[in-house]
Amino acid sequence: MDKVLHKKALPKWLKELESYEIYAPQENDDLWSFELVKSFEFLDSNYSNCIQSPKKIIFPQTETLLKFERLENGKLEVEEQLPEDRKKVIFGVRPCDAKALTLMDKVFTGDFEDLYYTKRRNQTTLVGLGCNTPPSPQCFCVSVGGSPHSNEGLDILMTDLEDKYYLQSFTAKGNELLILGKNIFEEPNPDEKSMLKRIHQEAKNKFKTKLREIEKIPDKLKGMFDSSFWDEEAMSCIRCGICTYLCPTCHCFDINDEVYSTSSLRGKRIRTWDTCQFPDFTMHSSGHNPRPDKASRLRQRIFHKFQYFVEKFNAYQCTGCGRCISKCPVGIDITEILEKVKNYGS
Amino acid sequence: MVNPEELKNEAKKALKEGKVKYIIGYRKKPEESMATPAFIRRAEDSEILIWDPTCVHNLVRFLSDEKRRRKREKNPEQRPVGIVIKGCDSRAINVLLQEKFIAREDVYLIGISCEDNGVIDEKKLRKKLNGRKAKRVDFKEGQELIIETEEGKIFLPAKEILAERCLECKVNFPIVYDVLLGDKTKRKPEKEFASVEKFDSLSTSQKWDFWKNQLEKCIRCYACRSVCPMCYCDECVVDTISFAVSADTTAEEKANKIKWIEKSPVLSENIVYHMVRAIHLAGRCVDCGECERACPVNIPLRLLNNKMEKEAKELFGYEAGLDSQQPSLVACFRDEDPQDFIR
Amino acid sequence: MAHNPYIPRLARIIEIKEEVGGTRPIKTFRTKFLNEDGFSFRCGQCAMLSVFGKGESMISISSSPLEKEFIQFSVLKMGRVTTALHEMEVGDIIGIRGPYGNGFPIEEWKGKNLIFIGGGIGLAPIWSVLQTALAKKEEYGELMLIYGARTSRDLVFKKELEELKREIKVHLSIDVEEPGWKEYVGFVPLNVLDKKPSPNNAITVTCGPPIMIKFVIKNLQALGFQDDQIYTTVENKMKCGIGKCGRCNIGVNYVCKDGPVYSWAVLKKLPQEY
Repeated sequence: MDKVLHKKALPKWLKELESYEIYAPQENDDLWSFELVKSFEFLDSNYSNCIQSPKKIIFPQTETLLKFERLENGKLEVEEQLPEDRKKVIFGVRPCDAKALTLMDKVFTGDFEDLYYTKRRNQTTLVGLGCNTPPSPQCFCVSVGGSPHSNEGLDILMTDLEDKYYLQSFTAKGNELLILGKNIFEEPNPDEKSMLKRIHQEAKNKFKTKLREIEKIPDKLKGMFDSSFWDEEAMSCIRCGICTYLCPTCHCFDINDEVYSTSSLRGKRIRTWDTCQFPDFTMHSSGHNPRPDKASRLRQRIFHKFQYFVEKFNAYQCTGCGRCISKCPVGIDITEILEKVKNYGS
Repeated sequence: MVNPEELKNEAKKALKEGKVKYIIGYRKKPEESMATPAFIRRAEDSEILIWDPTCVHNLVRFLSDEKRRRKREKNPEQRPVGIVIKGCDSRAINVLLQEKFIAREDVYLIGISCEDNGVIDEKKLRKKLNGRKAKRVDFKEGQELIIETEEGKIFLPAKEILAERCLECKVNFPIVYDVLLGDKTKRKPEKEFASVEKFDSLSTSQKWDFWKNQLEKCIRCYACRSVCPMCYCDECVVDTISFAVSADTTAEEKANKIKWIEKSPVLSENIVYHMVRAIHLAGRCVDCGECERACPVNIPLRLLNNKMEKEAKELFGYEAGLDSQQPSLVACFRDEDPQDFIR
Repeated sequence: MAHNPYIPRLARIIEIKEEVGGTRPIKTFRTKFLNEDGFSFRCGQCAMLSVFGKGESMISISSSPLEKEFIQFSVLKMGRVTTALHEMEVGDIIGIRGPYGNGFPIEEWKGKNLIFIGGGIGLAPIWSVLQTALAKKEEYGELMLIYGARTSRDLVFKKELEELKREIKVHLSIDVEEPGWKEYVGFVPLNVLDKKPSPNNAITVTCGPPIMIKFVIKNLQALGFQDDQIYTTVENKMKCGIGKCGRCNIGVNYVCKDGPVYSWAVLKKLPQEY
């Protein structure tokens, strides 16, 4: 379903969506982040992308898996805590972040379906905002098989046509949102259709591809596991969690019990994000650590994204959003590393 | 103005003479304006070293990595590590010397004076450029900086894009060094602790609301801790797992280890994390500003640590990192120390 | 509604046996689910044991799938969760979720001689497949156990081993001389060389400390065993047990899902990062 929405009419559409919990990029302290919507100014400003992807809404950084309590009669009660029934819409999702969710889907579905993730995923409608110009100098979606107006993972894609938005719906969930605003939209005319095509094509050309021939990398990596290359590259790594926590495709997590009362046992089992970059991520209770140094941990991150994930799911576990590059406190650049991997040994 | 060629020559000399194991300095990435840490081992690699207003990182932080590396190696090489340091960085060296974390002969200090400039705040520059991308930033005589963008060169008053801490800085050239490049220009900073005093003028409930909002944003990436030269503990009290575990640690020790903080980044735990870290840095923080720069969610962490340093100065006349021989604030007392709060 | 893989089922501890005392104690727990809904598993699989309030720990199931009265785990006291388990009493409730892992491919081993080589607590994962093979002796060739520990006090299943000696060849060892010890003295890998099991139509299963496994494999190769005749189990730190938390991987393989049982032919090709 394709529709056109005049920018001035946007608030009218939102009024029709009151049965949904609506998230959109909000600015606070020079920082954009997906929050419950107060305003839609992101559409008028120089919005690039949110500091954290919509991953934080569908796979929150902390969530309760179950509650446990020892009742008065001595019986131990364990109760699962699935996410509540709540329809959500997230506006302003860049195609790289939406594609990232399709990659996370591969991990959380399949064997042992993760009900917490799938419930939130199925309840959420993603309305994307195409990138007419590269949002950030570090973007490289086209290098990893993405594109600035890709609809992968999106229910609706909005393209900015100066005074209007061209809306394309690709799923039943997307259609539902368009139907709710049916009196506000117009059918696209041939001029608008050709403007859309032109903008999409021009956008692709504006992305200076930093990294090319990425298909050479998985095989190149296979022969580099034991190389001292990783020691050199990891020298400046400070082993924080920024690259992995901000990454829209990273999914590693920890499970811990939090106890609120011991006199009569009461507590929760909580899942939180974790990162392969922390030294104790893989440490055994005996003190043995399969990845005891920064080099092996950096190697794990690169291999996981560009070799293991490819072997398992035939896709790169990276959508080129560029956050890890722009936010790394020491400027480690994954595209720089990959370029070196590609040329390694030659 | 410091001539970057002098820096390259000093580095080349030190490596050629075999004086140092390797040198930690700054290099530039192609098409990116900000410098990034560089580790060079061969004299000819000195060509990549740079010195410009984007050299913001406190490289002293990498000395704890070197120490860990030596502990792991069977026959660790004893030659010192060369390191390029600014004034603030040299204060960090002094604190590490004072705490005997490193010995003076472990480091070869190539000091560079900021003269009457400093380093930039990338966020301020980005705002000023409003969408234009900076390709390089260079010093210029007379309180201006040269920004090269795709559209050409522009000149900005340094004051508008220098880091806040540089505007409040008193130690604009290294006070401990083996080699010093640049002049020991006396510099008149803005009022000391200006940001803290401005914040202190708020009411208690305003301050609480402020920190509640800020610390709710924290994602506990631990970047602030990871980037700080003084956070070198192998076992951190505000981390949920201790990694100082060996084959000899008993099951009871592991089972009974107190969990001071939960892993979930909720407000209560984030407050504990930041408050404890600030207290553990009291009297040790040299205001290199790295914690605030590294924070991906823009929490104004300098306010917390500067508040502690302001207390240290007012109550005990103590400033961290000015003298490696001075007794450490938190490890000793003087008879004349204030004690009216002791009842 | 699909089953939630993170919710453990409650089970009661019906028996606790102290196998090894001292500073590295091992206890064997026999458990029974509160709700009798079938829990079927294969030899070599593991389960996540929950001590609510402390956490979870992935322990291999040491009873045979043919045993219907209980599910048995042997637990070495290592850290927070296992210490809490050791402090539990008969009647206490724990959580169990699973079974996880790939298990031993015992269907492929029918008619072959099975040689089990264990060290210390490593006998626990082997016990499951050993008991199953014993119960169906006619389906397999000759069974042999080569098992050792640091001292005689560190051997697990001591009583069961005595009974086992009457049915199959059992070669025990301890690392250092002890008064009264009549069997082999020395490390398990050396006992393997000493007893010279034949590689003819044989499968070996090795479990124990990583260093022991390394040398056992070397010595088995010296005796003529092929890489696909050598099976072992690998352990890694685990949290979810279902291949999602990203922690236990060896290369592209998740130990909780694609392991913990590996033939050396497969394991040697994976990055040696475990």
